[in-house]
Amino acid sequence: MFKVTTDVLSLDEAYAAVRRPGCGAVALFVGTVRDHHDGKKVTAISYSAFKEMAEKEFAAIAREAQQRWKLGAVYIAHRTGPLKIGDASVVIAVSSAHRASALAACAEAIDTLKGTVPLWKKETYVGGEEWIGQGS
Amino acid sequence: MKVAVQLFGPLAEQAGRTRLEVTVTGSTVRDVVAATGLKLDPSIRFALNTDYVGGEATIKEGDVVSLIPPVGGG
Repeated sequence: MFKVTTDVLSLDEAYAAVRRPGCGAVALFVGTVRDHHDGKKVTAISYSAFKEMAEKEFAAIAREAQQRWKLGAVYIAHRTGPLKIGDASVVIAVSSAHRASALAACAEAIDTLKGTVPLWKKETYVGGEEWIGQGS
Repeated sequence: MKVAVQLFGPLAEQAGRTRLEVTVTGSTVRDVVAATGLKLDPSIRFALNTDYVGGEATIKEGDVVSLIPPVGGG
């Protein structure tokens, strides 16, 4: 399942989406909103997306991961709209027969997502705001 | 030919809009971008409908060109 949503992300949904009888491992990555950036105190954060393209890119990331690693299933969800400190902004779940593939594929998926998927983050600080670009 | 252009993130904020329509005589994404009159940083990528493309990609009536500033998901 691949989605961009304004709803609160569900770890239970991610876990359930990738569980498979032949898989002995599920790796889960959760990106959460941090209260600081470059020494500044973050007071608010908001994500926006090109939803249709982002969901297509999620599917492409999953497809590439499936080809590279032996995986059961891949789940990627990203939240948009205003988020609070500590909220989950992205959830990736990957299942595989053994743990090494699930962990490696999950790490690779979040790295690729950060570099390619059309999502944007705007952070508000005490006394200013900033769009955060690639690699942050 | 009329082509829709979508703006996102900081670009949309700067332009005060998320979508505009341009009339182009050329046939590439680069022609569409030029017709917007926007001054774009080299870091801006292009998408034709829902795929990343280079400026040389060919457009047709009804296509949507998107201007993609550096992404910041995660």
